[in-house]
Amino acid sequence: MPTRRDLLILAVLVALAALIPLVTGMRYIVTQATLFFIWAIVVTQWNLVLGVGGIFSLAQMALFAVGAYSTAMLGYYFELPMLLAMPIAALVTVLVSTLVGAACLRLKGPYVALLTLAVAQMLYLLITNDTACFTNPPSGCMPFFGGVRGFTRFGDLGFRELLGGKWYVAHFYVGLFLLALAVLFSLAIIRGPMGLAFQALRDNPGCAMSRGVSKFKYQLWLFALSAFFTGLAGSFYAINFAAIGPTVFSISLLLFLMSMIVVGGIGTIWGPLLGALILMLTDEAMREFGDWRDIGLGLILAGFVIFLPRGLMGLPVARLPRLSGRRRAD
Amino acid sequence: MDVIVQIIASGLTMGAMYAISTIGLALVYGSLNMLNMAHGALLALGGYVCYFAMAHLGLHPLIGLLGAMVVCGVAGLAIFLVAARPMLRAENFETRIFIATIGIGAIIENIVLRLFGPQPTPQPFNLSGAIVIGQVHVPNQNLLILGLALLLMAGLALLLQRTRLGRAIRATAQNREAAQLMGVRVSFVYAQVLALSGGLAAISGVMISSLSSLLPNMGGDPMLKAFIICVVAGLGNVYGAVAAAIVLGLLEAMAQYVLGVQYSFAILLLLVILVLIWRPFGLFGRRQVVRL
Amino acid sequence: MTALLQLDGISAGYGNQTVLREVSLAVADGGMTAIIGPNGHGKTTLLRAISGLMPLKAGRIVFDGHDIGGRRPDEIVAAGIIHVPQGDMLFPELTVLENLLMGAYLPQAAAESGRRLEEVFALLPKLRDRRAQIASTLSGGERRMVGIGRGLMAGGRLLMLDEPSLGLAPIVIDQIYEVVDELARSGRAVLVVEENAARVADKAVLMALLDNGRLVWSGAGAELMARPEILATYLGA
Repeated sequence: MPTRRDLLILAVLVALAALIPLVTGMRYIVTQATLFFIWAIVVTQWNLVLGVGGIFSLAQMALFAVGAYSTAMLGYYFELPMLLAMPIAALVTVLVSTLVGAACLRLKGPYVALLTLAVAQMLYLLITNDTACFTNPPSGCMPFFGGVRGFTRFGDLGFRELLGGKWYVAHFYVGLFLLALAVLFSLAIIRGPMGLAFQALRDNPGCAMSRGVSKFKYQLWLFALSAFFTGLAGSFYAINFAAIGPTVFSISLLLFLMSMIVVGGIGTIWGPLLGALILMLTDEAMREFGDWRDIGLGLILAGFVIFLPRGLMGLPVARLPRLSGRRRAD
Repeated sequence: MDVIVQIIASGLTMGAMYAISTIGLALVYGSLNMLNMAHGALLALGGYVCYFAMAHLGLHPLIGLLGAMVVCGVAGLAIFLVAARPMLRAENFETRIFIATIGIGAIIENIVLRLFGPQPTPQPFNLSGAIVIGQVHVPNQNLLILGLALLLMAGLALLLQRTRLGRAIRATAQNREAAQLMGVRVSFVYAQVLALSGGLAAISGVMISSLSSLLPNMGGDPMLKAFIICVVAGLGNVYGAVAAAIVLGLLEAMAQYVLGVQYSFAILLLLVILVLIWRPFGLFGRRQVVRL
Repeated sequence: MTALLQLDGISAGYGNQTVLREVSLAVADGGMTAIIGPNGHGKTTLLRAISGLMPLKAGRIVFDGHDIGGRRPDEIVAAGIIHVPQGDMLFPELTVLENLLMGAYLPQAAAESGRRLEEVFALLPKLRDRRAQIASTLSGGERRMVGIGRGLMAGGRLLMLDEPSLGLAPIVIDQIYEVVDELARSGRAVLVVEENAARVADKAVLMALLDNGRLVWSGAGAELMARPEILATYLGA
């Protein structure tokens, strides 16, 4: 289970973050922070899959999209309240993830990477290539999955009505709350029996397997469970922006999020959060050089993997507890 | 009857094209367990270099093609020297080089985008005219692609089977340490494999763009398909990859005719997943010995 | 006889672990030198350090008057040290002939590959019949022969064999050692790693006993067999 120290760090970070809307009146900073929370949820869960489970999945953004699209479609077609749509969307994501995992996870590492990438690409093509009109609202032809344009106007959490122009502050706290839950979940996984099982599988695969630790079983559980918060993040993303389209499948975004994990340190507890923060700030700084953004991201990603494969948390100055190596003393 | 000829003709062309883009990938994976995610960007780079040489410098098409091969070969070499070589002996090489080449691919693709812009551009390396079989027109460009693919396969088979370099490539792929003990300087072999695969990527990029058009991100889809073909054949199996490419080209042509273009890729993928559940190491792949 | 290979206090190991500690040894230019000792005590590491597969942590390796410590494996092969690794490490998908030809990969060896191939076939006649067969389909004894034959194809001045008896039936071990013996008698310098001291005691000009990564005893084979206390302490015999 999470150590007292983990919980303390988390509490301090959440408390500090919660102050942001109080100390700044700038809407831009608050909404960017909300976006940071969303990406941070995605990368903490991706990090579980990648760094803890050793599953080289590139389907994370596709799962994110499943959560987002489920929410939008539940709202658009069934006019479901968003508060209800969110958990349903997360469960749908878990279901999809379980199917994808069952098909892919028996395979060796690189095969998993290629197949999950292919699944993501297939979903993207199914959405964008579908041009047959499912409904015909006044705004024009609407394919079942929204086609190239995607969905808008499928409902929100009600804060716009409640708070008027200040709705984004409420979304900030919703995002922070979800992120805190996601981090708690990842702590429970890493420090719990599942984390220990994966550690055993890494340290001594033969011994662990002969003791009945099935890698496939654990990987499938982890893959499915981590999809819950990934889907939830997607759902909240759709609600927050009141829109969702196929752009969430873009390679550029995948690159951005993967860089966060790599820069922070794959498999570490706090690394992905640190990486997410650094990448968001770097992205902000590179805003003026918009055209060069992807080249910069490519350089960061390749540079870190080549020269600093353990990320910033692997540096000797990072004295926070690492997932691998050091044993728990307390 | 004409439908069948049509399906076979376009299926073979597609298969040949897939085969060209796949063998480079298969060769690299087979040699050093490296999934080169920058391969797609190299396809685009090759296509654009050929276009630039012909349209802007007014050079002969063959010189354009050759220039594209040289540029992409050097790019492949650079990827090896900058990214693969420093981590060759590190653990997690496969994962790390995969991520690193994703980054490098993004860099190359965006450089191409900056230089040539996002608009689709026709590929000047293109034969005009067609031959007629029954009622079916088969463009000469398709025949060129088919012929080039056959030539490249034969050349590659000859290289791998009959030359000193080929034997060194195969030996290194099968047991790196043993190859070192024979006096093979493995980093030289790897460097040559990546340069070769870059050259093949250039040819493939020129051919693909000659059938559609040039786009900076044109490499993404063919690369994914090439990877799928590698997976079906068993990663690293060069000859299996050629066979799988032709079969998948034909299947895709059939699926396009029967179900329409938008579902052909989904069908392809479904097929791959079924194949992998049936044979987790690919159709022709063998379970690799765990090296400790 | 002068030393062909001189090890001068070499240490080697993986990462922070040191497997081999300050080993010094002189290998004669001709005849058999044997390294004996229990499993997991650095014998294989010693050969790997000599052939450059493992970096040296300390010490010097002088071969034929040249310091070869820290050179790449291919450079060391070119200098004339041929390492036949433990468990053969054949190229499983190549034919026997292709495996043998890989042994003569370097230009100077390739130039003489025709003549050497005949020599190998004369020494190991079974390989002539098997030359078109894929290596992974051979029996254990045949594989060992290909491994040794592949080493001989390189020419070289020192042949290092890592446990040529490993995993073979007793009758096949005898056949293999007959070949090794013949090579040593013909004046070739052979460095053999062997777990069973008795098997090489009467053939080796020098025996070196490795225990826990250190050289604890060296001398003639007959001398070792006359020292039951050493045999009992280190080899459990």
